[in-house]
Amino acid sequence: MQTPTKQDKFLEDLDVKAILGQDQEVHIDRNLPMRKWLYSWLLDPHIPGNFQKDLDKWISYLIIGNLFSLMFEHVPAVYEPYKTWFECFDIFSVAVFTIEYVLRFYLAPEDEEFKTRKNARLGFVTSPFAIIDFLAVAPFYLQAFIPIDLRILRLLRLLRIMKLFRVLIPAIAEFKELNKGRTFRQKVHALVFPSNHGGTMQHIFEVFIGVWVILSVMAVILESVKSINYILHLQFVILDAVAVAIFTVEYCMRIYSCVEEPGYKGAFLGRLRQAKNPSTFIDFLAILPFFLEVFLHHLIDLRFLRVFRLARLLKLTRGSDATAVLVKVVVREWPVMGAATFIMMLLLVLTASLGYLFEYDAQPEKFENIPTSIYWAVITLASVGYGDISPVTPMGRAMTSVLALLGIGIFAIPAALLASAFSDELVKERDQLKANLFAILKDGHISEAEAAIIRAEAKRLHLTVEEVNKLIEVVVKEHELEERNPLPIHKIAENPALAVEHYKALLGQIRQLGVQTNEAQFEAAAQQGARLSSNELDLWHKIQGKA
Amino acid sequence: MASSTDHTSESQHLGPSTADKLFMFFLLLVVIAVTLLGVVNYKEALKTEASKSNGEAWVAWLTETGTTRFEADTQHPACKGGVKPAADAKATDAGTWGACLAHILATTDLKDQINPFFDKTPHFVAACVPSDRTLMGAILLEDLMPTPPGSATPFVASQLVETDAIDYKMQLRLSVCDKGGYAIKVAEFEF
Repeated sequence: MQTPTKQDKFLEDLDVKAILGQDQEVHIDRNLPMRKWLYSWLLDPHIPGNFQKDLDKWISYLIIGNLFSLMFEHVPAVYEPYKTWFECFDIFSVAVFTIEYVLRFYLAPEDEEFKTRKNARLGFVTSPFAIIDFLAVAPFYLQAFIPIDLRILRLLRLLRIMKLFRVLIPAIAEFKELNKGRTFRQKVHALVFPSNHGGTMQHIFEVFIGVWVILSVMAVILESVKSINYILHLQFVILDAVAVAIFTVEYCMRIYSCVEEPGYKGAFLGRLRQAKNPSTFIDFLAILPFFLEVFLHHLIDLRFLRVFRLARLLKLTRGSDATAVLVKVVVREWPVMGAATFIMMLLLVLTASLGYLFEYDAQPEKFENIPTSIYWAVITLASVGYGDISPVTPMGRAMTSVLALLGIGIFAIPAALLASAFSDELVKERDQLKANLFAILKDGHISEAEAAIIRAEAKRLHLTVEEVNKLIEVVVKEHELEERNPLPIHKIAENPALAVEHYKALLGQIRQLGVQTNEAQFEAAAQQGARLSSNELDLWHKIQGKA
Repeated sequence: MASSTDHTSESQHLGPSTADKLFMFFLLLVVIAVTLLGVVNYKEALKTEASKSNGEAWVAWLTETGTTRFEADTQHPACKGGVKPAADAKATDAGTWGACLAHILATTDLKDQINPFFDKTPHFVAACVPSDRTLMGAILLEDLMPTPPGSATPFVASQLVETDAIDYKMQLRLSVCDKGGYAIKVAEFEF
């Protein structure tokens, strides 16, 4: 039976799920008292993997939903037909917020903040967060007993937004802690750029920008629906102004703090480089139409610029690595794609010219000239075939049959090129991760910092736990193999530093050979039958230090 | 992932530097500027809303009158239906849109309407033209004539001019010209 090696033991002990931070097992004792057990599952922020974060997240979504509901209640055209739905949503929200309040009230004696007080629940009720929570639901119950003006009621319902502070305040505290002893600009940088100093606050900032991108793009799309724009025109104008204000502030913050990014040093040149960066340029395009329209609408009709507000959608690609990979692939394959495009253009012009040649006499109104025929050629070669223009002459039809078949192949080339290059790039990136894992696992241990690198890379490459596990297994086996067998010479040659080390090792072995062998017998054997050439013998003498 | 580095020379002075203060001031100016521009846009949008309200008032009046104008004791005899004007009728002759319009502008609340873009009474135009900025807030009233079955479009729209006869049940479309000179359809209704 084979004895387990240290690598087998390492693989056995390895918990990839823990490294990737997935499905963290919650260790909560089942035998805890009910209240303590419930608190541990629902509200304890110090137990990783419990429902505390999820609860906060869903409550936040509900608060944002309430904000939108409140906004649309002010639009009679939207509110009146769906009044019942709005009321149902309000009742549902109040029910959820009330359950949350009651739960926190019941579990207050378990909360670290209140448990030391004489009366924990009284401490909870008088705490700022609990007062906000109470004010968020109180008007709803109050209106059952006292008639309250609808406008005042709506104003009081706005207080629900303040419930977001339950998520925001801890995030701000964490941000302050992470940025202790840092300058103002560095703090701005930590907020807008992903870094180790950003924490939850940076995530909230990105979500906030993302929500506004989606909102403003939805507004642009809905504005094109005349019946909706007729009702919500004013709201769209306000929403656009707020979105532009937010995106402009974000743009300024990025440009100001980018000098803290590696590769963007320099007060002017660094910022210019950042401004020229594609993602920052998109940010600029997202706000430009608003200013142009305000300043230049007297001179020209700039309504067409409104469509460019859809460029805001591209802001969402900032956090997407897949887009970066796609751009990389397109740039890399550009020469080949250029060649394919050239062939396509050649075929297009040829098809259009032949179409004009064969069909002009039969249909002069449709194949009027070559530029007009280009439209027909594109529709035919791309296999779209609208059918609004089609050949009628036998020669024209014969040519179209051949060219349509050719078109399928030619038009498929760029797509195939991109797909294959994309796949290559992913394989390369996985190889890179494998190389990183090779270096990380050299000492047979994964530190917290190394786990963070693996976690980030696995997330970037969308690898599952099983795939990471497999990669680690392969790397560990390669390490084992490396320990047993030295690297082949071509592998050593790939790395100059390794090649030098290998050369030194070889010289040492030759010197060792010289020390241990009988010098006279070696010389005789070398000269007998010219086993070594004179040059080889001279080199031997040099290495032995006798030349 | 990009990471922040503490390579600035300012790390010794942690409070806001002069550059930071200038940046904050600039940011404040930007926010004020965008807010002001937003307010300008909002005011312009309010003018469009007021124009739409003008149009809605016309639609409400014409629709309401349309239900009673074929009755013998209609309140607005100038707009009475069934009165066929002569082929060469003038704008002031009974049974024409001109006579009805004159009656409306003389006796109803619609005469007090204001075009918010020019602070004048809104006028009726043949079409909203984006290049003509004098048409902002103007009203476009079109007669929708049904086309024969099988036609590509269900009706043909033509401006209701003052000499047009209004003796029959009419299908009308009212639009207003917005700030950019584009037509905003208010409603299609029977008159």
